[in-house]
Amino acid sequence: MARSDCFRGSTSRRDFLKLSVAGAAGATVGADWRLRKASAKPAQITFLRESSYVKEFDDYFKNVLIPRYQQDTGIKLVYEIVAAGGSAVPRLVSIVESKAPVDAGWVQQEWLYREALLDVSDIAEEVGKQQGGWYPEIKSLSVWGGKWKSVPFGNIGQTMVYRRDWFDAAGIHTFPDTWEEFLEAGTKLKKAGHPYGMSMGHGFADNNSWLLPLLWGFGGQVVAKDGKTITLDSAETARAVDYVRKLYKDACIDDCVGWLDPANNKAFLTSQISCTNNAMSILISAKRDLPDMGKVIDHALNPKGPKGRFHSLVPVTHGIFNHTPDPEAAKHFLRWLMDPKQVAAWYRSAFMYHAPFLHAYDRDPEWDKEPRFKPDQRVLETGKLVSWPAPADRKAGEVVNKWIVIDMFAKACTGVPTKAAIADAATGLKQIYG
Amino acid sequence: MVGELTWPRRLLGLWVPLAALFVFALFPFAWMAATSLKANAELYDPAANPMWIRHPSLVHYIDLFKETNFVVWIGNTMLVALVSTLISLLLGVMLAYPLARMRFPAAGLLAISVAVAYLVPQTLLFVPMADLINRMKLGDSLSAVMLTYPTLLVPFCAWLLIGYFKTVPRELEEAALIDGASRWRAMTRVILPLCTPGFLSAGIFAFTLAQNEFLYALLFLNTSTIRTVPVGVTGELIRGDAFYWGQLMAAALLGSLPVVLIYSFFVKYYVAGLTAGSVKG
Repeated sequence: MARSDCFRGSTSRRDFLKLSVAGAAGATVGADWRLRKASAKPAQITFLRESSYVKEFDDYFKNVLIPRYQQDTGIKLVYEIVAAGGSAVPRLVSIVESKAPVDAGWVQQEWLYREALLDVSDIAEEVGKQQGGWYPEIKSLSVWGGKWKSVPFGNIGQTMVYRRDWFDAAGIHTFPDTWEEFLEAGTKLKKAGHPYGMSMGHGFADNNSWLLPLLWGFGGQVVAKDGKTITLDSAETARAVDYVRKLYKDACIDDCVGWLDPANNKAFLTSQISCTNNAMSILISAKRDLPDMGKVIDHALNPKGPKGRFHSLVPVTHGIFNHTPDPEAAKHFLRWLMDPKQVAAWYRSAFMYHAPFLHAYDRDPEWDKEPRFKPDQRVLETGKLVSWPAPADRKAGEVVNKWIVIDMFAKACTGVPTKAAIADAATGLKQIYG
Repeated sequence: MVGELTWPRRLLGLWVPLAALFVFALFPFAWMAATSLKANAELYDPAANPMWIRHPSLVHYIDLFKETNFVVWIGNTMLVALVSTLISLLLGVMLAYPLARMRFPAAGLLAISVAVAYLVPQTLLFVPMADLINRMKLGDSLSAVMLTYPTLLVPFCAWLLIGYFKTVPRELEEAALIDGASRWRAMTRVILPLCTPGFLSAGIFAFTLAQNEFLYALLFLNTSTIRTVPVGVTGELIRGDAFYWGQLMAAALLGSLPVVLIYSFFVKYYVAGLTAGSVKG
């Protein structure tokens, strides 16, 4: 029997009426459910972040902000913490791909999944207006296709961290202002048994944070502003590579060529090196565990090159995944979080180690409590995204994740001629940019 | 007596290599213990001998228990490892027995596909697996890893057990069948009891793999109180580029104890299980 015949044959008028009544009742109940769902508060908001090296920062969120949010809104707030150094990005990618129940988070490497982020222009514009305006460079990351895909939070400042007592003993009383002076000082310090430890391994920040600014300071660039033209192979890049080779040979500890991010912390805290490029974590650890050393550590801006002084940003931005079941509630949470009543105290809970991208905090009294952290704020004045001057897109991300520029310098330090090291890097770039 | 060694030969041929092996095997544990028992000031002292403890301190153990959910992580890890090992052994036996003892078309191909399944890296599987877990609404629960770990463990257990089943003489099973036992009865009453060392070695190995697994645990276990040791420890004791070395080493040392105990109790069976089938009997 054909399907239509089957239905025709077995459905009486009485059955049809019953079905209609049941259908109408179902539709009414369904509509009612949808209405209730739209007006109901979500049971919880899940906010994901990488663990902070300043424990007080996570503690403040857990102990102050979570109870306050729950009291203000009646919505449960879950703070999910993932380890730094490689765990966050796979977690974020799996959240996006599988639409896992996470509403918002620190969207590391957002170029990988911008299409999965909600437009948060209204929040970003409002927060910017309210708190002195945004530093312009961060817009190159957060604004995409004319829309804010994330709300900037702060930059983890990467500066030169050095032993003032050893520099003084070598007759260097102010931190070198140029890369040439930096090399000269390092040569003296290495001879005195206190080499630099400049990371050049496959880490996530401490390598880019001095090698890219150095390249830019010498006038080199990886890819042009158009995001298409590869500009790495130049006389300026060659000069930067030659400089790094000499710096490594004359001023650095041998094994820094393969260091990951924790290695320079360990070497510094065990008094093996006199200077490195790092975030605040070394000084914070020293003040907590090694008070004597904590007194003689200082921070300084990166030296400048022939084309100026540069820093590489380590930006922290918060975004909302567009699969969140209640976008309005997630946006309300982010707006609430970025309100000065919440965010100002959260910044201050951790020595301002997230230097806010908002000008309202440029002269925050918190910076005066530990003047040695002030350079971390000044990084914002000359800070560029790792893709600079090219757009922070997926291709630029691939260059960073494959350590193409870092490997160029590391190869030169381990004996590869300058031309060959640059050619290898250029080949890697061509594979990405075509 | 043939083969008896004089004492110099015994010293050089047995005790010296044994001592070297002993040092090699225990060195990581000694390093972990020494690091976990030093306060940070001593840990970062360049003049201090890494293996010598001048001022023993339990501060890292106290912090580990007071400031993290370490006890909960240990409990979660044991539960997850135990359940996933039991599931994997059960499914592994069901897969290995027919492949080792019964003749049917494409048995060889199936056996190879088991080995191939074991070789598929987790990095290829984690995104579809995460999708599956979310569709089943199992995210952020221990069930998520209890059900996903067998995808790694079943092929391994089956492959190991196929080798073990093949070492048991077929005649024993045939005798049982002739005496009127069913295939099920012959398997459960004759073959499986003889394979206990094989189950133990597969079980211990599966337990260890489940206990150490990182990627799925990272992706599926989000709340601190439902994490396992590897993810809990790295999530809360590695903060940016600052490593809490003392607590990390204390956690690693304590986390390895259950497996050490299991190995020490069952090592005889474990070795028997691994070496079965390696020689012609």
